Amino acid sequence: MIKMTKVLGKKTLKPALLLMAAMLVAAGCSSGGGSTKEVEVSLEGRYTVDPETPAWQLDKKEEPTDLTWYVNADWWNTDFGKDVVTKKIKEDLNINIKFITGDDTKLNTFFAGGDMPDLLTIFDSNSPVVQKAATWALPLNELAEKYDPYFNKVAAADTLNWFQLKDGKTYGYPNYSNTQADYDSGNIPAKTAFVIRKDVYETLGSPDFGTPEAFRKSMSEIKAKFPDMIPFGFNAIGEGTGSLGDALQDFIGVPLETEDGKFYNRNLDEDYLTWLRTLNAVYRDGAISDDSFADDGTGFEEKVKSGKYATMLLDGTPQQGGNLQIFMSANPGKEYMAVDGPQSTVGHQPTLNQSGITGWMINYITKNCKDPAKAIQIFTYLLSEEGQKLMNYGVEGVTYKLNPDSTVELLPEVKDLQLNNADKFKKDYRMGEFMFFGHDRHKALSKDAFPESIKQMQEWGKGKLKPHFILENINPDQGTPEARGQTAINTNWNTTLVSMIRAKDDATFDSVLAEHKAFLDKNNWDKIVEVRSEKMKANKEKLGIK
Amino acid sequence: MNRKVIREDLDSRIFDAVNKVLLVCFMVIILVPLWNVIISSLSSGRALAEGGFIFWSKEFSLENYRAVFNDSTIGQSFVVSVAKTFIGVITHVFFCAMIGYGLSKRYIRGRKLYVAMGVITMFFSGGMIPTYLLIKSLGLLNTFWVYIIPALFSYYDVVILMNFFRNVPDSLEESAKIDGAGDWHIFLKIFIPLSMPAMATIALFNGVGQWNDFMTTKLYITDQALYPLQMKLYEIIVQSQTQSMQNIGGSVVIETTTKGVQLATIVITTLPIVAMYPILQRYFISGMMLGAVKE
Repeated sequence: MIKMTKVLGKKTLKPALLLMAAMLVAAGCSSGGGSTKEVEVSLEGRYTVDPETPAWQLDKKEEPTDLTWYVNADWWNTDFGKDVVTKKIKEDLNINIKFITGDDTKLNTFFAGGDMPDLLTIFDSNSPVVQKAATWALPLNELAEKYDPYFNKVAAADTLNWFQLKDGKTYGYPNYSNTQADYDSGNIPAKTAFVIRKDVYETLGSPDFGTPEAFRKSMSEIKAKFPDMIPFGFNAIGEGTGSLGDALQDFIGVPLETEDGKFYNRNLDEDYLTWLRTLNAVYRDGAISDDSFADDGTGFEEKVKSGKYATMLLDGTPQQGGNLQIFMSANPGKEYMAVDGPQSTVGHQPTLNQSGITGWMINYITKNCKDPAKAIQIFTYLLSEEGQKLMNYGVEGVTYKLNPDSTVELLPEVKDLQLNNADKFKKDYRMGEFMFFGHDRHKALSKDAFPESIKQMQEWGKGKLKPHFILENINPDQGTPEARGQTAINTNWNTTLVSMIRAKDDATFDSVLAEHKAFLDKNNWDKIVEVRSEKMKANKEKLGIK
Repeated sequence: MNRKVIREDLDSRIFDAVNKVLLVCFMVIILVPLWNVIISSLSSGRALAEGGFIFWSKEFSLENYRAVFNDSTIGQSFVVSVAKTFIGVITHVFFCAMIGYGLSKRYIRGRKLYVAMGVITMFFSGGMIPTYLLIKSLGLLNTFWVYIIPALFSYYDVVILMNFFRNVPDSLEESAKIDGAGDWHIFLKIFIPLSMPAMATIALFNGVGQWNDFMTTKLYITDQALYPLQMKLYEIIVQSQTQSMQNIGGSVVIETTTKGVQLATIVITTLPIVAMYPILQRYFISGMMLGAVKE
């Protein structure tokens, strides 16, 4: 090896440093960044704006519009115009979309390089990119006014208000954004359930899981009668600590806020802790497998698929729908079913959560967009009744038929393909997959929207949902000391929860809990609560909740 | 005297035996997981989900490989991968050798400055975003050359080659000069043939790097036609992971599992490099040795 001292002798170091400094200066001077000049589109010769008709029906632009659409997800299928759904979009709107996918790294390079795509879809509504949308995206309200007022008819006012930035404008529109009205309509299915294998349930004579004592007893019975199975399973520990965190809290109805409307640390709720003590006892009885703490999402899914768990506290039933269905088809009569699981020891009712108003993906039209008129037409089109049905069920007469009761039914050959040739179905039809603006309420239109395996679970959850809007996006802003404290606390809570459940005796359980409480104090917990309470107040104002 | 020899003999035999046992154990530790990956990739999803096998799978199936090769563009990606590795390695080795040759000459003016500049690049890089901006303004985004040009130079490799070239006796160069050879001639006809071991070593290092690299694609390429195998397989894995997220209704009997696809992918991507290794190994060992031994 070369000796550093020799190479970097004093004589050579100086000129090298000078050279570097010169290079830095040169680089600094030349950095102009990308230009973000807004494009003004003339509608002359194309159409005159009409609030009663969607602009895409009026637009007479002859040549197809080419748009680039960046989706911040590597797994997104970038095909366009080959399957039933996107082919129809392509024809109706006369557009060609080139999809680009990537992860946060790619997104950053886009912002740094200045060559933004026309449309942009990201996932984290709490990210700095979203907070600064005003600098790179076009406001939807203004676009609607200028090019397509019909947009306001199809977009939910609550959702638009929710995403309003400080300047009073809304830049992005999400999918799966559920408003109070959606909750009230009863069209949103629950996604959390305590499930048990039917054969186990019947063999044990419909056991009870409601109280801590009954839960522990039933688990021991399962362990005794079904030694090959793991009596109790739960989603992989991780963000929100699997289904043993928020999901269990919702299950037993831990309050969302304090009585005076402040942030409430639900993790330390006594009712909830009682249940954690129960889980600890169940663990000590040997009815919870250590594997469950180590499994990642895939590990958990594979256990679901093979029916390894006798019971599960399952969060995200639609996501497990495929796995549950595989088990159900292979083992008729043993399928998982939802039963009333753990219940509050102090009489609270379940307050199950579903997608909130923040939704999932959020879509933007950037300032670089070549044809903002066309872009807002896409938004309107996909958000309209017609677009929603297209995304979920395809084209009427080709893939589905409309029943007299206005429900939707897939045609037999399409249904057959869906059941027996998933690859071809995905490739040729791509229904339910092009979901930039998908919403739960349209899933309720058809019996075919969800797999058979989870329908009973959804039925069970009726009336148990409660919006958690006030708790959405209340984390401290990224980059603040509170945000760092928050991240540390979340990580600490994950390990604390696992340690509590695995505690070898009550004393250990208590000491782990005490350690977590001390950790909270050390990491600015009071400040975080303050920030969150403040944000909860702002949320209530936005939604008009008293 | 005689007894001592025997004892020494026994000692060394015990030493050898212990060594062999240890090495066999070590080999088993390495080979068993490798074997397990291969047979697991050849198992059906069902067998894989149940798990519990180490040496022989319960259900043989090529479904995982079918899932990977199902993608019609995978052949093209393979061509891109091979081309970028092949062209990348040749140009990289040649370019680094040229610079190394130049820097190995003590009479070059400003040599120390160049060396110092080179060393600085070993410790500091521009960072991702400045590099992206540079690549962008060079017009390399979405071109095949983004795999080749930025990868031409590696100071680390230059140092290895430089040291190697220095070991070539000066008298050899002098006599060539007397016979009328120019710099190019000396470089191409004397130094390169003499340095084949070092070149092969660097070629192998760089080749593995090029073959495995997908960050370059992730950052600078959006055109699917330019995706190398690694990027394509990365996509397949990510898609297999998110299949269930897209909750398509109905009973979908999936023959593969995410794990199965991942394992098949590991086998597919590693196999070409493993196959190359025995061919290059001869150079590799001697190259490493010669590079390390100095007078």
